[in-house]
Amino acid sequence: MLVVQLFINGIQSGALYALIAVGFSLIFGCTRIFHFAHGATFTIAAYIFYYLYSMAQFHWVLAVLASTIGAIIFGVVLDRWIYAPIQRHEGSFFTVFVASLGIGIIVQNLIGMIFGRGFVSVATPLSESVELMPGLFVAPLSGLAIICMLVFFFALQVFLNRTHIGIAMRALSENPALVRIYGLNPRHLSTMVFAIGSVLVVPAAILTGAGSGLNPAIAHHVMLISLAATIVGGVGSMKGAALAGMLLGITENFALIYLGPQWSEAVTFVVLFLFILLRPSGFFGRAIAN
Amino acid sequence: MAWILKLVPRLVLGAAGISVATAVLAADITIGAAFPLSGPNASYGDIFGSGANLARDHINEDNLLGDKLRIQYEDTQALPQQGVISMNKLVNVARVPYVLSAFTGVSKAISTAAARTKTVAVNGGGVGPDLASLGAYFWNVIPLATDEVKAILPYLIKEKNLKKFVLIYVDDPLGEGIRKELETSLPKAGGELAESLSVPATMQQFAGIAARVRAANPDVIYIASYGSQQSQMIKQFRDNGIKQQIASYSAFSIPETNALPQAKGAVYTTQNIDWKSADPVTKRFVDDYQSKYNKLPSAYIANYYNAVRLFGLLASELKKKGEAITGENLLRQRNETKSFDLVGGKVTFAENGTVISPMQVNEIDGAGGKVVSVTGK
Repeated sequence: MLVVQLFINGIQSGALYALIAVGFSLIFGCTRIFHFAHGATFTIAAYIFYYLYSMAQFHWVLAVLASTIGAIIFGVVLDRWIYAPIQRHEGSFFTVFVASLGIGIIVQNLIGMIFGRGFVSVATPLSESVELMPGLFVAPLSGLAIICMLVFFFALQVFLNRTHIGIAMRALSENPALVRIYGLNPRHLSTMVFAIGSVLVVPAAILTGAGSGLNPAIAHHVMLISLAATIVGGVGSMKGAALAGMLLGITENFALIYLGPQWSEAVTFVVLFLFILLRPSGFFGRAIAN
Repeated sequence: MAWILKLVPRLVLGAAGISVATAVLAADITIGAAFPLSGPNASYGDIFGSGANLARDHINEDNLLGDKLRIQYEDTQALPQQGVISMNKLVNVARVPYVLSAFTGVSKAISTAAARTKTVAVNGGGVGPDLASLGAYFWNVIPLATDEVKAILPYLIKEKNLKKFVLIYVDDPLGEGIRKELETSLPKAGGELAESLSVPATMQQFAGIAARVRAANPDVIYIASYGSQQSQMIKQFRDNGIKQQIASYSAFSIPETNALPQAKGAVYTTQNIDWKSADPVTKRFVDDYQSKYNKLPSAYIANYYNAVRLFGLLASELKKKGEAITGENLLRQRNETKSFDLVGGKVTFAENGTVISPMQVNEIDGAGGKVVSVTGK
């Protein structure tokens, strides 16, 4: 029963990791911006929901809406007013990365100042597990996490493959100059990518707030998983990032059968190193030759 | 030329202002505090600082030292490497003779710098047993894990008849210290350590560990962690169907853990302090803390109040003798004075620089907590 329990736990963690990683991978794949502040978007969305739903007692729909708007505004503001000016002046990958890292730290401290630096959680009966059969406990949140992951992932696939703007976004990752020749504005597309990438993190942020609880420093873990899943999945591949997120979640939990819990995070990096050594392009990444 | 004529007097006045400010600072007596002020354990820094600041205010109000006492805070993030950076800044740049320290890993990391530079480091928050053997310049104003574990075992095993334990401990010197203590003390007390699971300090997902704990079917889950992580563990364990008794040490005394609905019924140890005591030091501390924060203080707050008050008492004695306030002189004076009037009553230091105190077992009841057992009185 322990194996089944850990598999279910792994699927739940993996679904959340997948949602986080897909957003990061979309932004990085399309814009080549190492958006380290993706973790900060997660924290902002989670704390907005926590404040409105748990503290201000708003209806959950309003709290979700506000959380989504907050995440979009944060992502778009960063793209327009932080990353774009840096890229206009010198365009260094590392300057943008350092700016993003700095913003992540600023957000962590601001959240700490506003909401306190301790642990908070969104109180909901959905996080309480039900014993389905002897020794097998499953919380309704697990099902919600999986449903959210499937819905958002397929909606994203449809958007990227079936809409003009989605196709333009994919083109942006291939050749921004060519996108401009076709009369499209790469800057507008980049803003759209940031908005969608930020929305993808919202369900994971809300479900994490309800399931595991929050603290202002939670973004570090989020970024760790996003980074690992993006590389394992293949840089720029949404499908790869989603699968890698699931793989990391399941591996992390399955490791508990044979190893002590102190190894569960290390297992994530073992998977990462194995991919770097044996399949550097990841699940669905393309080999690049210069 | 006119702008130069306007600028020069401003620069002169500015420079004069800076030199006056420097002169004021030079007359102050500064001690250091290496606390977590950011990261997942930052809430401890706020708690520790509230006790230290209250003692500083009392010392300055009483004009105990003649000069103003200042505390220079440095952020360790509860990480040993950041602790060493903070300590170097405090002893080499600020040249403080006395540093408040917290967390077992950080305290161990800074203890070598304390010994090398003959700077007194005082811990009021870390409880790893190793902290008792870090040299003459490292003092503890908090009972260590050995005392905490020994205090809770009779309550759980004899009074509540709970014998089978699972330990979840953070993979650092504190967690290791508690594991060793439980492995030694549990069999002697009539209990059994069924399983001990170590977790990294950064871990945040505990649903999988909850499955392992359920499989072990213990009577008690002893959590040896701190900060946000311990609250996450409690919430996720309860959400994942663990109904058994949860127990821990003084790290559970922080408000965020006490306020957690899932923590109701959990028990933890702290040193025994009677907040209603008529002793003037304790009464002033409790009254002023309550009027400032509108709640009762915790043992951590008293510890850091005591650590700063201890400095005030020692430095005051040195000033009376006309001696410099250095780490060496503070240590000599501590050995001479023997006992000190601190919050909780008279305190005496053992030779290894550690205080001995009665202990109490507290239960989180969702209404400020209650004392369920007192030992060592």
